Amino acid sequence: MPLTMLETRNLVKRYDGFTAVDDLSFDVYEGDIFGLLGPNGAGKTTAIRTIMDIFKPDEGTITVLGRPPGVVRRRIGYLPEERGLYQDLKVLDVLIYLAELKGIPRSTAREQALIWLERVEISEWAKRKVRDLSRGMQQKLQFVASVVHDPELLILDEPFQGLDPINVDLLKGLIRDLQADGKTVMLSAHQMNLVEALCDRILLIDDGQGVLYGDLAEIKRQHSPGTVRLRTPDLPGDLPGVAHVERRDDTLTLTLEGITPQQLLGELVKREITIESFEVASAPLEDIFITVVRERDDA
Amino acid sequence: MRKILIVARHEYLVNIRRVGFIVMTALVPVLGAAGLFVAAFFGGQAASFFASTFVPQEENIGVVDEMGSFTPILPEYQDRITLYPDEDQGRAALQSEEIGSLLVIPAEYMDSGKVTIITREGGFSAAVLEDSDILHSFFVDHLLREEADPRLRARLADPIEPVLVSLEEEGEPESGPLSVILNLMVPYFLGILLVMTIFVTSGYLLQGVAREKTSRVMEILLSSVTAQELLAGKVLGLGALGLTQIIIWLASSVALSGGTMGLLGIALPFLVRPQVLLLGVVYYVLGFLVYAVMMGGVGALGTTQQESQQLAGIFSMMAAIPLMVGGFMFSNPNMTFVRVLSWFPFTAPTMMLLRMPLAEVPAIDIVGSILVLILTIPAVLWAGSKIFRMGLLMYGKRPGLRQVLRALRQA
Repeated sequence: MPLTMLETRNLVKRYDGFTAVDDLSFDVYEGDIFGLLGPNGAGKTTAIRTIMDIFKPDEGTITVLGRPPGVVRRRIGYLPEERGLYQDLKVLDVLIYLAELKGIPRSTAREQALIWLERVEISEWAKRKVRDLSRGMQQKLQFVASVVHDPELLILDEPFQGLDPINVDLLKGLIRDLQADGKTVMLSAHQMNLVEALCDRILLIDDGQGVLYGDLAEIKRQHSPGTVRLRTPDLPGDLPGVAHVERRDDTLTLTLEGITPQQLLGELVKREITIESFEVASAPLEDIFITVVRERDDA
Repeated sequence: MRKILIVARHEYLVNIRRVGFIVMTALVPVLGAAGLFVAAFFGGQAASFFASTFVPQEENIGVVDEMGSFTPILPEYQDRITLYPDEDQGRAALQSEEIGSLLVIPAEYMDSGKVTIITREGGFSAAVLEDSDILHSFFVDHLLREEADPRLRARLADPIEPVLVSLEEEGEPESGPLSVILNLMVPYFLGILLVMTIFVTSGYLLQGVAREKTSRVMEILLSSVTAQELLAGKVLGLGALGLTQIIIWLASSVALSGGTMGLLGIALPFLVRPQVLLLGVVYYVLGFLVYAVMMGGVGALGTTQQESQQLAGIFSMMAAIPLMVGGFMFSNPNMTFVRVLSWFPFTAPTMMLLRMPLAEVPAIDIVGSILVLILTIPAVLWAGSKIFRMGLLMYGKRPGLRQVLRALRQA
């Protein structure tokens, strides 16, 4: 049973009568890269802020590393959605100060700061003032500020915002490295392709409510039509579980019913059918997202 | 606690390097030096200008003695007072500025006491003359010339040479009027110093908070330390900064005055009653903590720097009220109004600083007001940091009173 790093139960947060977070319950397990997704204004940042004890929830419970919010500070790293660092201080000084506030001794903080600056490829800027950095570099710096103290749980609100493709790739790699080091990451995003690439488990929020939750692969499986794209010179007409066949050029699209693609493959192999290509077509997360949100809007 | 010190050190080091701080700190000594330079340069001319306008001239005095007791003039007065045989000659001497003023003592002086004083411009210089010591003793000496022994004449001329003793000071070395003045001045001075430190510190505090709010680094800070730790750290760090600035100003004024103030400073503890000095420092420290925390908390509510300073300014005003009320206290330092202000934590520090040298303040007032202050500090830190926290995250809209109260209620 994996360790629960973060748990919310029936979380509710309201502002002036508007319910931003409505009965949200989810868990983040140790070693997860957990994705919090949703359209703009869905309540992701509000949820994160209550978890970080910046706002107090109106109802519900939150447990972070086994304690209420705001108790465990040292082992959590936070990247807020609204970026900002001391513009007129030196890069290295800012990192050291923030790390010290987390309880890291000064010398260790310095060491770690330099290592991380190296990892995000801005070490030549260590002695420069924050305002001299370009926007993308400041974003990377902000990320470093959230990890420099070696936290176990990282909470990143829109980490990829404003990054060019090269830096997106860099950051993706860093997040994966962190997971490999045993860290747990919760990130909020609406770049679906990135979420798909990185996250193990997700929570999709719409209008403050949890709409999809759980293991990403499982969700995709559930929401994908059972579809297989196949190229074969010779398709038998009596394959079990094949509800519909559509041909386009030399690709056959089979709609399955009652059997999994794995089972179909097994059947084809058993019958020694020549297969040129076989692809399980699962819907991209983006499509699932749009479909689910639209269905709710129509309802 | 460690985190509070980390915040304090950061605030201190960052702000002490700011150009604004360096300029302001250097400004006072530079202006002081410039002032001295100007004084030295224009020196003589300025001095005599001031002297002639404000200080009554020690000019010679003429006397027309129509009754006879003042002729001849006693030797000891002859270099300042000249006898003229009649009023016309006296007036002529006045016109030609041989004398600064003329006294005409009429024949019926012994019955009426009236003396005509004639001066060139009249007004102020005439009034000053009437009061002067030399005239008083001149009259006494001449009127009693034959009849009284010199000692009686001296006593009548200037009856009291004060030697001050007070009951509670019995047994302590008494240095006369100087120590009385210092006993009064030091607390008043500490009171002014307190108000100054508060203004200076709160300025930096509000500036820093505004900067952290605009740069949005506030959320990250609050994910690492509590609002209480942040506020306490800022108050300590910036308090040290304000104190540094004031010490530099004091040190430079000592240096500029050629060490006279320095000598005064060393002599201070011996001349001032030690209890007054000690209590003064206690009230200074406690007062500063109470004000700085409240101002920091409330100031964070402002959406603009100006608004923050206006909000925080309420507390500076409260600190200054006793200084303004001060004058009324002299006649009755223990009246009810004063006692109330001594207990109310936001006016207590400066009030007590002023009260203590004037009269023996009842011990209960001292102990009570200190206790109230000590208890107020954690209360104010608690409330102030809640308001601080609320203000930190409200970007762009100033919370109304109801929201503030709600924030306080949220434990």
